[in-house]
Amino acid sequence: MSAHIWALSGVLAITVTTFLVGWRASRLASTTQDFLVARRTVRSRRNAAAVSGEYLSAASFLGVAGLVLKDGADALWYPVGFTAGYLALMLFVAAPLRRSGAYTVPDFCEARLGSRALRGLAAVFVVFIGILYVVPQLQAAGLALSNVVPGAPTWWGAAGVAIVVIVNVFGGGMRAITVVQAFQYWFKLFAIAAPTFVLCVVFIGKGGLQSSEMTGLAEELPPTFTSAATMTVQTPVLLQVDETVKFAARGTIDDDPVDGSVYWTAGETHEVDAGTTLSFSQGSSVPVVAGAPVDNANWFAPVSTRDDLFATYSLILALFLGTMGLPHVLVRFYTNPDGRAARRTTLHVLVLLSLFYLFPIMLGALSRLYTPELLVTGRTDTAVLLLPTKIAPGLLGEILGAITTAGAFAAFLSTSSGLVVSVSGVLSTDVLRGRVRDFRFATAVAGGVPLALAIALRQSDISLTVGMSFALAASTFSPILVLGVWWRKLTWVGAVAGIVVGGGLVLTALVISTISGLTGDWAPGVIDQPALITVPAAFLTVILVSKMTPAKIPSDVAQIRLRMHAPDGLGLTRDRAVASFGTAEERSRLADGRHRK
Amino acid sequence: MSMSVLSMARHIAGDLKDGLNGVGVRSAARGVRRLLNADFVGLADLSGDVVWAPAEPPFIVDAHALVEKVLHSETKEGRSPLVAVPLHVHHELAGVMVVAGASRRAAVREASTWIVEALERGRLEASAEQAAQAELRALRAEISPHFVYNALTVIAALVSSEPDRSRELMLDFADYIRYSLAKRGEYTTVADEFHAIETYLALQRAVLGDRLQVQVRVAPEVLAVALPYLVLQPLVENAVRHGIEPRTGTGHVQIRGEAEGNDCVISVEDDGVGMDPALAEAVLAGRGGTDSVGLANVDRRLRHVYGPWYGLVVETAEGEGTRVVVRIPRFQPGVMP
Repeated sequence: MSAHIWALSGVLAITVTTFLVGWRASRLASTTQDFLVARRTVRSRRNAAAVSGEYLSAASFLGVAGLVLKDGADALWYPVGFTAGYLALMLFVAAPLRRSGAYTVPDFCEARLGSRALRGLAAVFVVFIGILYVVPQLQAAGLALSNVVPGAPTWWGAAGVAIVVIVNVFGGGMRAITVVQAFQYWFKLFAIAAPTFVLCVVFIGKGGLQSSEMTGLAEELPPTFTSAATMTVQTPVLLQVDETVKFAARGTIDDDPVDGSVYWTAGETHEVDAGTTLSFSQGSSVPVVAGAPVDNANWFAPVSTRDDLFATYSLILALFLGTMGLPHVLVRFYTNPDGRAARRTTLHVLVLLSLFYLFPIMLGALSRLYTPELLVTGRTDTAVLLLPTKIAPGLLGEILGAITTAGAFAAFLSTSSGLVVSVSGVLSTDVLRGRVRDFRFATAVAGGVPLALAIALRQSDISLTVGMSFALAASTFSPILVLGVWWRKLTWVGAVAGIVVGGGLVLTALVISTISGLTGDWAPGVIDQPALITVPAAFLTVILVSKMTPAKIPSDVAQIRLRMHAPDGLGLTRDRAVASFGTAEERSRLADGRHRK
Repeated sequence: MSMSVLSMARHIAGDLKDGLNGVGVRSAARGVRRLLNADFVGLADLSGDVVWAPAEPPFIVDAHALVEKVLHSETKEGRSPLVAVPLHVHHELAGVMVVAGASRRAAVREASTWIVEALERGRLEASAEQAAQAELRALRAEISPHFVYNALTVIAALVSSEPDRSRELMLDFADYIRYSLAKRGEYTTVADEFHAIETYLALQRAVLGDRLQVQVRVAPEVLAVALPYLVLQPLVENAVRHGIEPRTGTGHVQIRGEAEGNDCVISVEDDGVGMDPALAEAVLAGRGGTDSVGLANVDRRLRHVYGPWYGLVVETAEGEGTRVVVRIPRFQPGVMP
């Protein structure tokens, strides 16, 4: 029980600290003596921490380790893609977008193509993408909380996080959003790195793989239970085994009631109903969810089938191009003073994310050894939360578990807050324009709708759901951004057609996959990872339709492109102050005045 | 029927907004042709180049000769079916309309009058725009002589006792003057505007000493927001001039800038003498006398740039201090530093 108390206090502590950091930073005023410091802009490094803090969501903190546990080498593409998205952003979009002066994607559409219709359509998709991204965060919160408080229904956690986020935004806790999010990044890094180090030390201290009956991670054998394990399946699941297993079961298997010993022979697939309790003895091999690699050699090796190959490339494309279209990512770049700073910030983000993603991967590999029962229940997303108490039973494990749980809640809070703020901003300026110009009402909508969806929809792997919103962003906004920055002949008609085709295809895939998930998983793999088809389709549509409507090329296109691409030093954008007053260094040589730093 | 005539007339007026050599002339000629039910309609400016609708007529040589004739005689020439009428804008020849094909003379006369009125309206709009620009420039030059005198006197007083401080104040003064008088684009950033405020406050603190207490709190997220020149600085100047200077004892000025959704909200607050809300209303409406032209001007410029939603909000009462709130969207097409 004490583990739960530790974890709960960790969650409370991080929530209160987030409030306090935001409250303090927004009240941090400079008084008469030092008011001139207030003008200082945010440094690239802090801004990068803020971008990373907002970006590292439940999918990164919990989902990556869970997918590594289940899918092995193939899942490594998730952290790679989550990071590489910023490479695309840095190479193609960051600096020109900043110089264009746009705050959101709809702003960019209007600035570049001068069309109110396109702006409205883009606003609608910002809301779609935002909501699609918040839903899995809230579901993950439900999962994490039911892990901390046994027996709590999953909607508790979702409602809790949604309420905290809305109250925080209402109370002005997100006014100092840069400081809050930068703090969240460092906390999340600590919450995942510290337990990883300690758990690795404990693991090696126990003698590593040699000491126990664990299956090596590259052996052609299924994982085994390191101790006797009893688990209750909470959602119906299809299981397969690679070796004959004997275990005790109580409940319903393959539509027949069972109560006693069960034998499963190699290669069979069995359906286990919700509420069934399975008990395995120490050393018996672990059944896994159908479709996941069964033995460790398979788990360790990359793509095995052609479907896997398609899904992998699709995923890479979605993540690589999707990051630039995420609403909460772009708005943070606005804080940079100029295009160069925007590019430098992205570079720092790449470093910070690369550092972070080392740890969930290691935790995922460790959990393959220590928490294989998650493979049976299908709740692989909780691996990061459960692992500490498994490897290091006792007080140490409980404290480490509290830290990872607090980190997970930091992830839910920061990403959801960032998204709710961005979505409600777009809602209040574009969708509700003229009728309700109330930011609070928009915030309540932006938080309430995802909460309702999170409770109503069935939960699947966090990273897969988040992957869908990346695919949506990659198929709608990335063609507009990339071509808008680099292609002269883009027209608003082409952009509208691209968004409609790309977005329409992804949303169709999403609906089909949801229906198929409810009626027995009949949809082909392409439906779950549609980006390899939808992204090229969107790009092609934009190009073809723009070619067909050359009359609609905006008349001021040359001027806009000059503004976006001219180096900052030329002073076309920000620093005419530099041209007229000299650079900061020159001025500080003139006078060592306080404000001339 | 009358609906379509009205809408055609409206479109013609819109097309002629930029005059007879603007981009909408061809579309206007097309509209006139449909209105008159003529075969060909041409519109020419003073250079004699005719823009035809729907296409160049076969008798183009005759038509051009006719246009040249009208440009010299400034009276109606030719007879049905090919007539050319002069277009006099403000009693001055501005162009020629050529109509070919059976149409009633009265109708042609009405059409030419309509075109002339549209052209006159376009000119009026352009000059109104110019007047607004001139007003902007005028505000930029509005530096209180009172303040310049006080600042320079204080600096002079400090030269011998605190030479370092006086040198710094001198540079502050130079910065301030430069920012206020510089002839640059229409827009700046919140960061630069705050810098101007800071130099101003540094000088005022030298003048008023400990009587002026200032608190500046600006969120880094809004520093890059673009806004028209000298929107915030006059507000701070007002707060000091009307809030602190007229009374004895210490006064506080609070300046706050923060993000709210997609908007940036900046407020300037003083705990000075305040004023009657009715007076504040009169000041914003521009009836406050020469002393408070600044506030009304800022209000009008904000509305002009961002639309009617984004005017100044003044919260005040007698003896209760004053709070002025500026709300600007973080992005507005065309507003770039």
